[in-house]
Amino acid sequence: MKKKLFSVVMASLMAVSAFAACTGKDDTEFTADTAPQPDTTNAEGEEIYSQEAILDMKMFAAMAGTEINSGNKIQELIAEKTGVRLKETWLAGQQAGEAIGAIIASGDLPDLIDGGDGSVTLYENDLLVAWDPYLDMYPNLKEMYSDEEWDKFRMDDGHIYWANVFGNHYKGVDTSTGHNGEAFWIQCRVLEWAGYPEIKTLDQYFELLENYYNEFKTMPDGETALIPYTALCDGWKYYCLENPPMFLDGYPNDGCCIVNVDDPANPKVVDYNTTDTAKAYFKKLNEEWNKGMINPDFAIQTYDEYISMLSTGRVLGLCDQYWDFAYSLAGPFAQPLDSLDGKRLDEIGCDYVPLGLTIADGMTQQWHSYGDELNQSSGVAVTTSCKDPNAAFKFLSDLLEQDVHDLRFWGIEGEDYLVDENGLYYRTEEMRQLWKDDDYKKDHICSYGYCPQWLGISRDGKNAMMPSEQTSEFYAGLAAPLAACFQAYGAKTYADMVGSLECDQYPWYPLWSWSNNLGNDTDGGVAWANMGECKHEWLPKVVMSKNFDSDWDAYQKAYNDCKPEDFLKEAQDEVNARLETARANGYEG
Amino acid sequence: MSLSESTSRRRKKRANGVEFTAKEFKRQWILIAIAAVYVIYGIIFYYLPLAGWIMAFQNYKYKTGITGSKFVGLAKFQFLFSDAKFLQVIRNTFCMGALNLIFSTVMAIVFAILLNEIKNIWGKKIVQTISYLPHFLSWIVVCGLVHDALSSTGIINELLVKFGIIDSPFQFFASKPWFWPLVVLTNLWKETGWNAIIYLAAITSIDPALYESASIDGAGRFQKMWYVTLPSIRPTIMILLLMNIGNVLNAGFELQYILGNGVIQSVSRTIDIYVLDWAINGRNMDFSLGTAAGIFKTLVALILIVAGNTIAKKTGDERLF
Repeated sequence: MKKKLFSVVMASLMAVSAFAACTGKDDTEFTADTAPQPDTTNAEGEEIYSQEAILDMKMFAAMAGTEINSGNKIQELIAEKTGVRLKETWLAGQQAGEAIGAIIASGDLPDLIDGGDGSVTLYENDLLVAWDPYLDMYPNLKEMYSDEEWDKFRMDDGHIYWANVFGNHYKGVDTSTGHNGEAFWIQCRVLEWAGYPEIKTLDQYFELLENYYNEFKTMPDGETALIPYTALCDGWKYYCLENPPMFLDGYPNDGCCIVNVDDPANPKVVDYNTTDTAKAYFKKLNEEWNKGMINPDFAIQTYDEYISMLSTGRVLGLCDQYWDFAYSLAGPFAQPLDSLDGKRLDEIGCDYVPLGLTIADGMTQQWHSYGDELNQSSGVAVTTSCKDPNAAFKFLSDLLEQDVHDLRFWGIEGEDYLVDENGLYYRTEEMRQLWKDDDYKKDHICSYGYCPQWLGISRDGKNAMMPSEQTSEFYAGLAAPLAACFQAYGAKTYADMVGSLECDQYPWYPLWSWSNNLGNDTDGGVAWANMGECKHEWLPKVVMSKNFDSDWDAYQKAYNDCKPEDFLKEAQDEVNARLETARANGYEG
Repeated sequence: MSLSESTSRRRKKRANGVEFTAKEFKRQWILIAIAAVYVIYGIIFYYLPLAGWIMAFQNYKYKTGITGSKFVGLAKFQFLFSDAKFLQVIRNTFCMGALNLIFSTVMAIVFAILLNEIKNIWGKKIVQTISYLPHFLSWIVVCGLVHDALSSTGIINELLVKFGIIDSPFQFFASKPWFWPLVVLTNLWKETGWNAIIYLAAITSIDPALYESASIDGAGRFQKMWYVTLPSIRPTIMILLLMNIGNVLNAGFELQYILGNGVIQSVSRTIDIYVLDWAINGRNMDFSLGTAAGIFKTLVALILIVAGNTIAKKTGDERLF
């Protein structure tokens, strides 16, 4: 007890002292000229920063990630060019909110931070530096969004405190080859074995997984058992289990509810947790569970355990968002394995392809959303602990310079990529394999992945900002079974595989950028927290149930006790408010 | 035992009635100076932080600090006791704490007595060393071991399936009735050996003449344990029980935090986790509520210790004060 109390009290004392420390600051006017400048030249005569002039800064991102080694080659090159060496640290074994809370209580803030869903907490405690004066100083930053988009980042005090760095195409040119969002994923060997059938519904999907499993049972080594399907339930990532009813009904990822647009002038918020589709989906999972088709540990697995299980290639199917699992698999899938006689997992067709399923046949769906989604709920921010905010903003801006951007995502010319006679960047097979190697990543690659970045076509008008979006690189980088799968379905990109309806985004989309920041200060926020807790407990339970119908009814009763109507009312208000704003800006609909 | 010795010494001192005079101070100043270090330590680390209790009566905001936050009286306590979740975590904490206290005390005594009966000195040493080693493992490691052992492909499930006791792996961590027993068992595995050390020491100090005369009177092994060993270590047991009873609400944090999950959170969450959720996690940053919950824990601990001590006094047993 005493220890606990002591820590709370010490935390508060530190909080008080931190408060005292920041009240003294005044708003000195900065200009771009007062930022540090290069002080020496390198062998090629370029102006660079000397080791003494390079500032060391720290960044925390409230996301799981891997720290790179100190002395990382590209990190040093970027430091010479920009004058800042950024040490990134990541979330480890905690939830984002907890980590941010602990950082605030300790008073020990990094210079830069991406607070995830703890971002608003940082703002509410006056710990972030407003971007507004710097946006005019650094056109690279300003260029990231239109004025209207920047306005969406404004907090209730009228200032901008962070910028989301993802899903932003340079000059709006969409060249994306990927599907970063959610889908039911399936290993391409399963599709290949079945002769590339059309899989459109949940039932067809599970039938195929079952058939494949019953045919093979194990990996080619004859020992490691296959797992037909798994769903992650760890913390907020339980969306993998929780939100498919929204997509299966054909709606896009608003995250917290369905927005029904049968009457486009009057969008209506609908709860996807209580629909017939929700019941049908969980009943299906329950059936599959009782047939032994679902990972027996899905309900208790942590994210790390989930990733290490996927890394073995045993799992045939899953529902998740691409970014949450696929990047972690690139390394393990590219390793030659003794158990496969020296073959790699991607060579035997373990790569996942996305399927845009619906609950019934003949429906349209929107698993893939075309165009950039603007998530204003979090992003990279500069904290009040940063001694030289001007240098920090200059650094963020420099990271968007084309040469630095190329270093971050393509690497060093001649070493990590080559340029052909047309000026197009390309990699050799050897280079591609190196970029999947975890040790090489730590020693050589430094992408500063949670700092500002671009998608789309780079400023030379030819190459893609990211190799994964360079069409030639994208195809060359696909393992043979995956390429064959794409070809069999006539798909050029992952998005084609999903086959979503191409339609304009509604002005309230995505609504999760609102629900992610709900606190406990409104009835709707309290209901939202309680609903989440209720679903965390009940959804795995109904899947593992021996008596689905009665458990489902008990779940629905417990769910209704959380007063979802309070939440839905506020969601409706938010949709209306966003629609009003858009109409005021000329949106017709 | 050092504790009972020190209490008796204190009583003696009071009986002697040493007057606190300048002369006495001069005579003892070195001792007083040495003691002062600990008194200052106690004041800084145990009593000064109590000033933070003010937060429980404020709507404390990180931004405004203690000096600038608004006083709200008992509103935070009112919120706590009207929150069904808080009542749930009190139940969880109390039940797990009480189960831990009972089982760890009983098992430690039983283990110490059994160990004492081993006549082979090497065997005894080896068993004792192995049994207290887990005490030095961190909870993170222990939880990892337990989690692996009880997972669907873990050793426990493999054995149960192999011997045909169950036909498919059992989900221990998705089953509410299993959580408390698992917490108790994990605690026992980790701490029994360590806790037994103090009882073993007490047993060693029992006069061998008692055992000899018991033998002459025809007592067997079990009778000697029951009539000689147990009554002789009774004062130690009472003192340790009294000290630990204040810890009942410290049923743990790491264990429940790591092994808990969404499915079983209604039985796994303890007061400490509740405090973490409110004071640190997410947008709430409600240090006030966390402090209020902390004060509640302290008060309960105080009441339990005083009550335990009073009972011990009534029954004529060894006591703390």
